[in-house]
Amino acid sequence: MTDLFAGTTILEFGGGAAGPVATRYFADHGATVIRVESRQRPDFLRTLRLTPDSPGGLDGAHHFAVLNANKLSVALNLSRPEGVAVARRLALWADAVAENFAPGAMAKWGLDYASLVKERPDLVMISTCLNGQTGPERHYPGFGGQGSALAGFNHLTGWPDREPVGPFGTITDSLSPRFAALLLASALLHRRRTGEGQHIDLAQVEGGIVCLTESMITWAANGEILGRMGNRSRHEAPHGVFPCAGKDRWVAIVVHDDEDWRRLVRALGEPAWAADAAYATVAGRLARVDELERRLADWTAPRQAAEVAELLQAAGVEAGPAEDFGDLHEDPQLAHRRHFREVEHAVLGRHPVETHAMRFSAMEPRIQSAAPRLGEHTEHVLRELLGMGREEFVRLRAVGVFE
Amino acid sequence: MAALPGNLDGIRILDLTREPGFFAGKLLGDLGADVVKVEPPGGDPARRRPPFWGGIADPERSLLWLAMNTSKRGVTLDLARPRGRALFLELAARADAVLETEPTPGLGWPELRAQNPRLVHVALTPFGEAGPRAGWRGSDLTVTAMSGNLYSTGDPDRAPVRCSLPVSYYHGGIEAALGVAFALLARERTGEGQHADVALQEAMVMPNIGTAAMCKMTGNRGARAGAFMRQERSVAREIWPCKDGFVSFALRGGPARIPGLVAMVKYLDEHGMASAALRARDWKAYNHNLLTQAEVDELSREFGAFFLSKTMGELYRAACERNLMLAPINNAREIAASTQLAAREFFVEVENPGRGRLRYPGACARSNASAIGIRRPAPRLGEHTAEVLGELGVGAAELARLRAEGVV
Repeated sequence: MTDLFAGTTILEFGGGAAGPVATRYFADHGATVIRVESRQRPDFLRTLRLTPDSPGGLDGAHHFAVLNANKLSVALNLSRPEGVAVARRLALWADAVAENFAPGAMAKWGLDYASLVKERPDLVMISTCLNGQTGPERHYPGFGGQGSALAGFNHLTGWPDREPVGPFGTITDSLSPRFAALLLASALLHRRRTGEGQHIDLAQVEGGIVCLTESMITWAANGEILGRMGNRSRHEAPHGVFPCAGKDRWVAIVVHDDEDWRRLVRALGEPAWAADAAYATVAGRLARVDELERRLADWTAPRQAAEVAELLQAAGVEAGPAEDFGDLHEDPQLAHRRHFREVEHAVLGRHPVETHAMRFSAMEPRIQSAAPRLGEHTEHVLRELLGMGREEFVRLRAVGVFE
Repeated sequence: MAALPGNLDGIRILDLTREPGFFAGKLLGDLGADVVKVEPPGGDPARRRPPFWGGIADPERSLLWLAMNTSKRGVTLDLARPRGRALFLELAARADAVLETEPTPGLGWPELRAQNPRLVHVALTPFGEAGPRAGWRGSDLTVTAMSGNLYSTGDPDRAPVRCSLPVSYYHGGIEAALGVAFALLARERTGEGQHADVALQEAMVMPNIGTAAMCKMTGNRGARAGAFMRQERSVAREIWPCKDGFVSFALRGGPARIPGLVAMVKYLDEHGMASAALRARDWKAYNHNLLTQAEVDELSREFGAFFLSKTMGELYRAACERNLMLAPINNAREIAASTQLAAREFFVEVENPGRGRLRYPGACARSNASAIGIRRPAPRLGEHTAEVLGELGVGAAELARLRAEGVV
């Protein structure tokens, strides 16, 4: 079968996770995703752990490599007018443009939507940054850690008697690419049906707040501020993560209703403490949740997390081991779905990258190449795809435009 | 939502989901699709979930329901009865996509496809529809535990911890909506619909931002650092107490962050709270990965004392004016009062008939040429049953019969 986005070209400006993860969805279904990069101001993921003796230099960064498979890289020095002119030709030629620079950066180069749309009336473009392209705080310079705090996720994560923590991985950096991919796909569908393009302004903080609508309207309706409550639920118990045998091993157990509770008690071997009628109802379990969790922790503590999960799931009770990043590579379900796929990287050798969470009946996500070295495809993209003449290419290269 | 079209105008979606999938239909509705939520005659279980508006336990006042089902019409239909299933198949014959979070006997992809070969069918489930754990039960806490994301969230001396609202349902919901969009794009080429199997567990691996895949190269299996961040030779605070709450601020360096550190020291200095050593530090050569714990502690003492003298509001205003990478740990009240969100007219008033107006977060994004955002309030139970079945040609007399039989 033909890949969904075969023949579709997406030009990408920017770096980190929030922008580049979005275009991976399209790249994994055959789109030609071209990153415009520069040695003058490399993607910070290329420099995160960089030291003078890092193998491969800017091309050897693990973090960049795992997020940017399936893409091409063109090196263009945007501090030179010739570099900007080439970027502009690419943008006008591509099917869509995605960028996550600070607001105003693209306009400085004349690469913003307002400039490009004059020559490309059906341009589809998405810009994403923390606070959006407008408003008094648009230039606020935060990373994902700040986005998570501003949007309300940190306040909701952690223990009620302790400081807030963020969900691991700066959550606005992972929600934003999903929103961006959905918005871009919907814009491409709209153009396909109407011929019309558009510019989308995705503020990462706003997307995050839309996810937390329940918290926002609970404040609006009741003046109540939802807070962090460890792993507990307001309406189910037990709902927690319990210690298991081994160093820092844990199992999640969730009892949704009274029937689940009876199943759990049977699975535990009907211990005397669990026969207490007070535990038979959710109200009773919530009222004595501290004691209930202690009892359950006593039972899980000497057992292996995987063994507890298997036993409880076999009894129809929801449970799952807390897997660390190493465990994920042994997870049979992720293996069945081929979540991790190997690529051969010029500096790093064979390594796994991830694909998305969708499996279609008539198309398949495919990872065909490792993340590009910086500027690896400059000649291929400009000469063969864009059709730049040899003379011009050589002249621009000689004056350092492709750096 | 004036004259602009929606990107998904004219797309009809039947939404059979329970809570884990609510967000998918809401987003597709916000993009213009006609999303019809199909509930059993007794109502979706989420309607019985607290918190309730005004504390009144009423299926029309569940804030979870009201939050995640805007931009949808609502019908009741008993899919356990043959007549209910027949009506659903008639709806599916005219629909572009069906969303589900659990299978409905007799209404699986094969049956629906036979009815409408152009139909897109997306199933969002905890672990996916096939594989050794496809039969496992899962909800937010369990799928997050099995994604690597839980393990590294929380304090090192306690159990791993989740966000107290179900983040996996937001991630999975957007991914399911994207599944619909991709399958609709594919249909433009092939003329045929297809099925998509979306897994919450797998959707929660990506929020580790590549760290899971990197583990094979770095050996980093993850760990919890609480309000701190691990560096090469030390741990450094990232969540700091201030006068009235907490702020997020990192001592990390790198070209993007060092100007913010320099500006922060200047800010401390203006308040007489930067020591001579801090003022004299060479920030050009600063590399957080080379700092010893003692050096981190010394820096932290000065920054920490300063933050305690300021409120979240003061610190964030300074961050915006001075380009400091510092953010308040906002709760709902603080978000509702944001000047940036007010300037962008982010919040919208939604009229809920018979209950009043509620201020909602509006659009997840904005477009110059398409309308994105809330189209209508979350439906009351069966609010659009007559309207939607009327579109199938079901008249008043038949509707009365269906009601009497308990089909709707």
